[in-house]
Amino acid sequence: MLRFLLLRGRARDAFRLTVLLACWVAVACRSQPGVVAERTEIHIGATLPLTGAEAKVGGFFKEGYELAVEEANHGGGLEVGGKRLKVKLSLLDDTTNQATAVSLADRLINSEKVDFLLGTYSTALVQAQSTVAEQNHVPYVNGGGAATDIYRRNYRYLFGLLAPVEVLGSTLMQWIDEQQQAGKIPKPARIALVWENTAHGKDFRLGVSQFAAKSGAYSLVVDEPFELNGKDFGALLGKVKAAGADLFLADAHLPDYITMHRQYVSAGLCHKLVSYGARGSEQGAIEALGKENVAHILSAVWWNAALAGKDGPARHFVDAFKTRYGRVPEWFQALGYESARALFRAIELAGSADREAVRNQLAKLELPSILPGGTLTFPAESGQQARYPFVVQQNMPDGTSPIIFPRDVANGTGIAPNPRCPN
Amino acid sequence: MAQVFDLVLSAVLLAGLYAMMAYGLGLIYGVLRVVNLAHGGVIMCGAYLGWVLHERLGLDPYLALPLVMAVTFGFGVFLYRVLVCHLPRGAAGGPASLLLLFGVWLVLRNAAYLLFTANDQVIRTSYSTHSLPFFGTFLSVNRLAVLGLALVIPLALQLFLSRTYLGKAIRAVAQNADSCTLVGVDVERVYAITFGLGTALAGAAGLLSATLFSFNPAFGAGELLKSFVVVVLGGLGSVLGTSVAALILALVEVFAILVLPSYLTSAVGFVMLVLVLVLRPGGLFGRPVLG
Repeated sequence: MLRFLLLRGRARDAFRLTVLLACWVAVACRSQPGVVAERTEIHIGATLPLTGAEAKVGGFFKEGYELAVEEANHGGGLEVGGKRLKVKLSLLDDTTNQATAVSLADRLINSEKVDFLLGTYSTALVQAQSTVAEQNHVPYVNGGGAATDIYRRNYRYLFGLLAPVEVLGSTLMQWIDEQQQAGKIPKPARIALVWENTAHGKDFRLGVSQFAAKSGAYSLVVDEPFELNGKDFGALLGKVKAAGADLFLADAHLPDYITMHRQYVSAGLCHKLVSYGARGSEQGAIEALGKENVAHILSAVWWNAALAGKDGPARHFVDAFKTRYGRVPEWFQALGYESARALFRAIELAGSADREAVRNQLAKLELPSILPGGTLTFPAESGQQARYPFVVQQNMPDGTSPIIFPRDVANGTGIAPNPRCPN
Repeated sequence: MAQVFDLVLSAVLLAGLYAMMAYGLGLIYGVLRVVNLAHGGVIMCGAYLGWVLHERLGLDPYLALPLVMAVTFGFGVFLYRVLVCHLPRGAAGGPASLLLLFGVWLVLRNAAYLLFTANDQVIRTSYSTHSLPFFGTFLSVNRLAVLGLALVIPLALQLFLSRTYLGKAIRAVAQNADSCTLVGVDVERVYAITFGLGTALAGAAGLLSATLFSFNPAFGAGELLKSFVVVVLGGLGSVLGTSVAALILALVEVFAILVLPSYLTSAVGFVMLVLVLVLRPGGLFGRPVLG
């Protein structure tokens, strides 16, 4: 063909053809196995709500992810198949928006070609985003989605570190039950149960209501869902007040907790025990509501810095976090850190960045963990959602929030009934 | 009975907030026939102005109120002189004004994202959670203050409109702008001042809301919708109608909790909006919104 073109005096066409052939040869050579560029890093993608309603918590998770990556890279990277590979984290802001979380996950997988994904925060975002990972067969490890609905879908590539919210509700009730047995709260006790109208809230309701029904020593006098990111809870709290409940148990995200509790205090309400589920001890809430107004609030959380003993992974994490950020971590940072650590360990065990191999390692992982119970696993029977006991803590008037339950890890004694209530 | 009493009180306090949010929207429509979609953005700006003054200068939000109203008044006059005055008046300007002012809202919102990020903010004062005992129940000091202002402001507005030359000019322009021009009233100046007053009221509503709720740059969207329900229910352009409609909306929303789950009560207002537009388009006290 080239000779034909030259013979016909079309040198320009011949030149173009030569360039095209050269390009093709170059591309073909690059795609030969023998000349593949050696992998120098593991590329991990993640999105977090760094702006929007969950921005505060998103920022906490970011701290956990970054600390884990920094630690992994400090020793030269992850040991994968006999080589050290640095971890590169591409972290994007999903603006607390489901659609954005989904499209960014798609971009990370298909445009930025990340190897694995770390999850975002909040049930709604994890639920939506994990579907993208599943469709693309990318292992997705998250510490931000707790609702059992997420894991009931039995996704193969989805792994969750937050134990079910249902367990949160029942753990809280176990401590309350101990107080009832000790005669500190009435028997039967009347519970006002309000919960955000989400999968998270429904799980909490299930945990509390099942415990109450089984025990027979409690009656639900209010059992009411409320709108997420609500503005006015006056009518709802009016209903709670009218019910004359002994205990006020709510499940709310941070902004709703702040708005609702401000109205709760202004309305002069006081119950023998008050809880907002996993909320209560956050520094942001204390600043917004005042230390005196959050005193004696109970919360059941996935992790507490007091779990760190003298040594072990939890101690290491708390010390490393304090060194880097100059403060004590909350459960958000711990879950972010541990999610990344679980993924890193699975990559090392797999000995490659092959997604299927890493997925299989995650499925059978038994990691000495900073979480309660000390070992992290992803049981197949619960849809690869970790299961471990919660810790119940209570805000004290001095601003501390010690663990009060379970007894074996408690570093403080709970107070019941609320001494601020008149009777 | 005690629950009903509590719910009535809760509704009255909520009505104060709704009325505050709606006065500005109603005033601007009543005189200029412009539906100010930037109202939500100005509410958000009022909240941030109050927050900045409180956080940076330690100014109490109620002491900051005149300052916030002055700034938002100035912003309203500026907005009128630069943008709104170029719109055709009456029905012809409807779609154009909606689009223009919606654009202004988007600009305000995105500017707030740039300046303050999307983090939720709250104004916390020493009395944020204080309440006063009242017949066996408690009334939030902040909500009482909002209610008080919601009663004082329409009275002051009514006095201003009926007793001052400028107020009479505003009413005259609202009735017939062309005739006002013939008798020497500076109609453009009256329009600018009215737009400024409307935005000042929105700014005040934003500041007062910020003493009750957390807010971020997206704040104002829900408030605009509530304001819209109130002014349509009360009849656009009626100050008294706005106050009564705010009370009706609040009562309906609050009492709906007796028959509906809490998360559905805010939808009741929008059902009312549709019903009023269909059955009584003039609202309860004002002139027709449609047609």
